Amino acid sequence: MRCLVLLPLLALSAACSKGPQADLPSISKARSLAAEWALINQQSAELKLTTAYVGTMRASIREQLQTAATALTQPNSAYGVEIRTLLKEPDDASPKDLSTHVQALKTIEDSLESA
Amino acid sequence: MNPLELTLGIMTAVGGFVDISELVFAAKAGSIFGYALIWVFALSTGGIMVFGEMSGRVAAVAKQPVFNLMRHRLGLKLGLITLFASLIANLITCAAEVGGVALILRYLTGAPYALMAVVGTAILMASMWVLPFKWIERTYGLLGLFMIAFIAALVAIHAPWGKIAGGFVPQIPHGLSTKELLVFAYFAVAIVSAVMFPYEAYFYSSGGIEEEWGPKDLPMNKITCTVGFGLGSLLSIAILASSAQLFGPANVGPELLGSSALEVAIPFGWVGLLIALLGMLFAISGAAIETCMANAYSISQFFGWEWGRHRKPWDAPRFTVTWIVLFLAALAIILTGVDPMQLVEYAVLFSILVLPLTYLPLLLLAGDKSYMKEHANGRFAKSLGWFYFALITLAALGALPLYFLTSGGQG
Amino acid sequence: MTPSDPLKVISQLLDLPLIDCNGNYCGIVDDVAFTGGAGKEARLEALLVGPGAYRGRMPRWAMWLVRTVAGDRLTRVPMAKIKSIGSAVELNTAAEKLGLHAVENRVRRHIPRVGAM
Repeated sequence: MRCLVLLPLLALSAACSKGPQADLPSISKARSLAAEWALINQQSAELKLTTAYVGTMRASIREQLQTAATALTQPNSAYGVEIRTLLKEPDDASPKDLSTHVQALKTIEDSLESA
Repeated sequence: MNPLELTLGIMTAVGGFVDISELVFAAKAGSIFGYALIWVFALSTGGIMVFGEMSGRVAAVAKQPVFNLMRHRLGLKLGLITLFASLIANLITCAAEVGGVALILRYLTGAPYALMAVVGTAILMASMWVLPFKWIERTYGLLGLFMIAFIAALVAIHAPWGKIAGGFVPQIPHGLSTKELLVFAYFAVAIVSAVMFPYEAYFYSSGGIEEEWGPKDLPMNKITCTVGFGLGSLLSIAILASSAQLFGPANVGPELLGSSALEVAIPFGWVGLLIALLGMLFAISGAAIETCMANAYSISQFFGWEWGRHRKPWDAPRFTVTWIVLFLAALAIILTGVDPMQLVEYAVLFSILVLPLTYLPLLLLAGDKSYMKEHANGRFAKSLGWFYFALITLAALGALPLYFLTSGGQG
Repeated sequence: MTPSDPLKVISQLLDLPLIDCNGNYCGIVDDVAFTGGAGKEARLEALLVGPGAYRGRMPRWAMWLVRTVAGDRLTRVPMAKIKSIGSAVELNTAAEKLGLHAVENRVRRHIPRVGAM
C-alpha cells in the first residue's frame, strides 16, 4: 500500500530535479547522436548511402544536438563543453574524431549512472 | 477458403504489422538490452493474435463492429469516456505516423520536412478517397513487405542465432542497476503497448464488416491472425536483433527514425537503404491510414452514422468528413514542430492507458453467447483473453510512474 | 427477436445501432418512450434517436456541450417500424421516411462525387 503512495511521489520528484543527474537524458541523447553521426559518416565514406539521406540525417543530428545542449541545466559543465565542441565538428568529420566525442560522453554518462 | 485470398490476407497482415512505434522501440530495445526483450515482442504478439481473432470473430458472427456492440454493453456515459480516450490515443498515434511518413520522404528526397508532411498527408488522403477498402489495405500491406529486407539484413550480418533464440525465453538480464531495471520495465510496457495498439482491434473488426465476413470466414480470420501477425512480428524482432548486433556495440541509441535503415544499408549498401526506407514508408503510411480510419470508424459507429470505404465517400458523408478532419488534425499536430519521436512516446503512453478499456468489452462480447451463439469464446480463448487482460492492466498501472522515473526510457 | 417478443430494454435494446430496410445505418437507440403512467399499463411506444435523447442520461454540463456541438435533434421511431431486434435494430422502412437521414443528406450535398473507385 505504501508503495502505491510512494511511487507517484518518487516519479514527481524525479521529474523536478536539477544538476548532472537531471542532465543524464540529454547526455545519453547527445552520445547516441554522436555515435549515429559517426556511423553515417563511416557508411557514407564506403559509398553505402544516398546523398539525400546523409544530408538530412546530418541536419537532423545537428538540430537534436542543439536541442540537447540548450536543455542542459549545467551548460558549463564538462559534458556541456563536450557537446558544444561536438557541434563545432564539420558535417563530414571523420568517424574517428566523432567516436572520441562518443567515448568522452559515454565515460561521463557511466560515471553519473554509477554515482 | 480461397487459397489466394488467404495468402493475400496473410501477406497483408505481415506487411502491415510494423508501425513507427514498433520500429522505434525495437531498435532502441536491441541497442540497450541486446536480445533480452525479444520475449516481450513474442508475448505481446500472442496478445494481438488473441484479441485480433476475437475482434474478427465478433465482426463475422454478430455482423456488427466492436464499437457498436461496445456502446451497447457499456452504455452512453462509459461508452463516451472510452470513445474520447481512444480518440486521443489514436489521434496522437496517427500524428506520429504522419510525422514518420514526412521524415522518410525527407530522407528519400532531401526536401523540407513540413512540405513532405503536407505532401505525404495529401497522398494518404487521396488513397483513402480513390481506393475502396480492400485496395487500401492490400496496397499498403503488400508494399510494406519491403520490410523483409530487415530479415535479409539480419541473415547477411551473420547474427548469433543462438542468442536470438535465447531471447524468446522470458528473462530479466543479470546485473542491472535499479535504474536500468526500471528502464527495462518501461521498454517492456512500451513494447506491449506498441504491439497491441487499440486502433488495431477497431480497424480489424471494422475491416471484417467492410469485407462482409461471415461464419465461413472464421478459419481465415484465425489463420490470418496467428500466421500473419506471427510472421509480422518477426520483422520487429529482426530490427531488434540487428540493432543489438550493430548499434549496441557502437553506442548508438538510436535517436533518429532514419537510423534503423542503416541496419539494411550496412550489409547491402544504398540499394538496401532505399528498400528499407520504402518498406518503412509503406508500413508507416499503412499505419497512418489505419489509425485515422479506426478513429473515423469509432466515431461513426458510436453515433450510428453510415460508415466504411466499401461505400463511396458521398454514400457515407459524415464518415468521410470525419476522416478528412482527423487527417488534417494529425497534420496540424505535426506542423506545430513537435518531434514525431516524442509523439511516439506519448502514443504508446496514452495507448497503454486506454488498452484495458478497449479490450475488456471485446473480451466480454466475444464470450457472449447471445451474440456469438456457438462461436463464443471457448475455455482456451477465455483463459488467454483474461491472461492478456491482466497483463495489459498491469502494464497500464505501471506506465505513467515508469515514464516519469525513467524520463521516457532515457534512464 | 421481433418487437412483440419479451424484451429487456436496457440489455437488449438501448444503445443498439439502427439499420433501415435498405441496409443503411441510421442512428442509435439513444432512449425509449413509454405510454401509460403511474398505476396504468406501460407500453413501449417508440425509440428515440438523436442527441436530444441524451437528456436524462447525461449530467447537465455534458448536455450543454452536446447541445452546442450537435444540437438537440430528436426523432421518434414508432415500434411498428421495427422488423427485428438482434445485434442491431432492423427497420421495415427507409431512413428517409422516418427523418433519420436528414443530417447525413445535408452533409452529402457538400461531398464532391468524383474520383472514388
